[in-house]
Amino acid sequence: MNALELDYASRHFFHVYAQYLDQEQFNEWIGLFDPHQCTYEVLSKENKDLGLPLPIMGCFTLGMIQDRVAMLAKGVLTYRRSALLRQVSNVQASFGQDGHVLAKANLVVYQSNEEGVSSLYMVARYEATLERVESRLLIRKMQVIVESFGIDTMLAVPL
Amino acid sequence: MSKVPYPSQISLDWPKKDFSRVPYEVFTDPHIYALENERIFRADVWNYLAHEVELPNAGDFVTNWIGSTQVVVTRDKDQSITAFENSCAHRGAQLVTQVRGHMVKVACPYHLWTYSLKGDLIGVPMANGVNGKGGMPQGFDKAQHGLSTLQVQCHGGLIFGSFSKNPPDLLEFLGPHSLSQIDRLLVQRKPKVLGYLRQRIPGNWKLYNENVRDPYHGSLLHQFQVSFGLQQPTMKGGIKLDGDLKNTWNHSILSDADKDHQKWVEKAYEGTGKYNPNMKMADPALTQVPLDLADGYKTTILSIFPTLIIAQVDNTYAIRHLRPKGPNLVELHITYLGFESDTPKQTQDKLLAANLIGPSGYISLEDGEALRLVQEGIQSREPGTHEVLEMGGVGAIQDTDYLSQEISIRGFWSHYHKIMGF
Repeated sequence: MNALELDYASRHFFHVYAQYLDQEQFNEWIGLFDPHQCTYEVLSKENKDLGLPLPIMGCFTLGMIQDRVAMLAKGVLTYRRSALLRQVSNVQASFGQDGHVLAKANLVVYQSNEEGVSSLYMVARYEATLERVESRLLIRKMQVIVESFGIDTMLAVPL
Repeated sequence: MSKVPYPSQISLDWPKKDFSRVPYEVFTDPHIYALENERIFRADVWNYLAHEVELPNAGDFVTNWIGSTQVVVTRDKDQSITAFENSCAHRGAQLVTQVRGHMVKVACPYHLWTYSLKGDLIGVPMANGVNGKGGMPQGFDKAQHGLSTLQVQCHGGLIFGSFSKNPPDLLEFLGPHSLSQIDRLLVQRKPKVLGYLRQRIPGNWKLYNENVRDPYHGSLLHQFQVSFGLQQPTMKGGIKLDGDLKNTWNHSILSDADKDHQKWVEKAYEGTGKYNPNMKMADPALTQVPLDLADGYKTTILSIFPTLIIAQVDNTYAIRHLRPKGPNLVELHITYLGFESDTPKQTQDKLLAANLIGPSGYISLEDGEALRLVQEGIQSREPGTHEVLEMGGVGAIQDTDYLSQEISIRGFWSHYHKIMGF
């Protein structure tokens, strides 16, 4: 994979990633993770800058990631239902020393309520370690670093 | 201190002496919110400021909010702790813009007036004029122009501040149950900060005070707890109130006997769609984190008037602080704790258990939604209508040895009613 192909593949990865979440295709979203080894964390910029380890949302195994979305899909949680639209931009990717792809991108999320009123919900950035498996990129490690860490009401649906 | 006129055309109706009815206007009326700043936050109460571990070295500072007022908390070379309003004595500019950090003195960005870490004015540029002209008047006395400081006292590592010139005795203000719980949670092991969480909830700050004094909702709203065995309505537990009823300690203990109550629980939840005993977690590690403390308490919520909550939920330990942002919004600020004596495994367990609380917590995220729904629901309620607080009994406001109660909420309101002078 040359630099141009990497650029295309990483952009495509984030577009698919955002689309699966926007459309609540949670099983497909889980399919983007490496089933053998993966983590998913949402971190506040405040904690990240202070070197403090506490995540807002911390999934340290594939099972924990599956549980996060199962609680939504099976109606266990009472949470604000909003239509969320994710906008991913400034995707950058490079090869790490171990051959993994290191990918970064910016994220804004808009929320729209049942009455059709929209507002900005979240400002964040992705820092991902991806693994090339045949023609696909799979997530080994995904960190979503939230700049708007004063979270509006709650964060139930993964970013 | 400015007085906030309370419009004479608005009258609050408290029809029950046991505070089993609360007028909805207290959650929505901007005049009442302004009055709270004067009669609660800037009056004879102790407000939470920080934990001492956040200020380990001379020159360290953190900021916080007391009602609508931002304060800066500093540690000086003599290890003393000072708190002052984040507003210059000269023209009122905000002095400190960082949330926390380190400084040797406080300098106003506007005209570079400088203050010691105790808030004393120590420098006024061009005080003697330039080229023999201008400057401050001869009688200008720097000692009269220090920052507006608060009374500060500490207990159990917690730093409290009061705007009152004659605040109540701190230990009496906290009460015996609060003191014993502070010892249990924050003193017997030295805490360390694992991180902060912030949740901006579109609800009145007093709704959160109700929420944490309300174990009735615990096993009803929070299906996760019930479905995965963290909480059961049949659990042993209860509430203990301080002498003046403003502070509450809610506690619950899960025992093997609760497994025998499953049929009771299934029947109670029948048809509600809120109970899912057959659901399995793909990775149940979160629900298997062992409790650090051997006393068996599954949940202990210590709610200290007006805005401090020290919470143990399962094996999470956190200082929750309410920062009101107007009648319809409150920031819930959480300082999430581990302990210096924790093993790496215990620290990792606490990072895992944090998935129960905060804005993404399987339990706590629902409280944010509950408050939003209440605030939405009461916005247009007719003046003179009330919420109903009768669960667990009416009349005397007293300790209970059962959890399904709203008595401790009535304790909050009895003190609020008194201190607000309604």
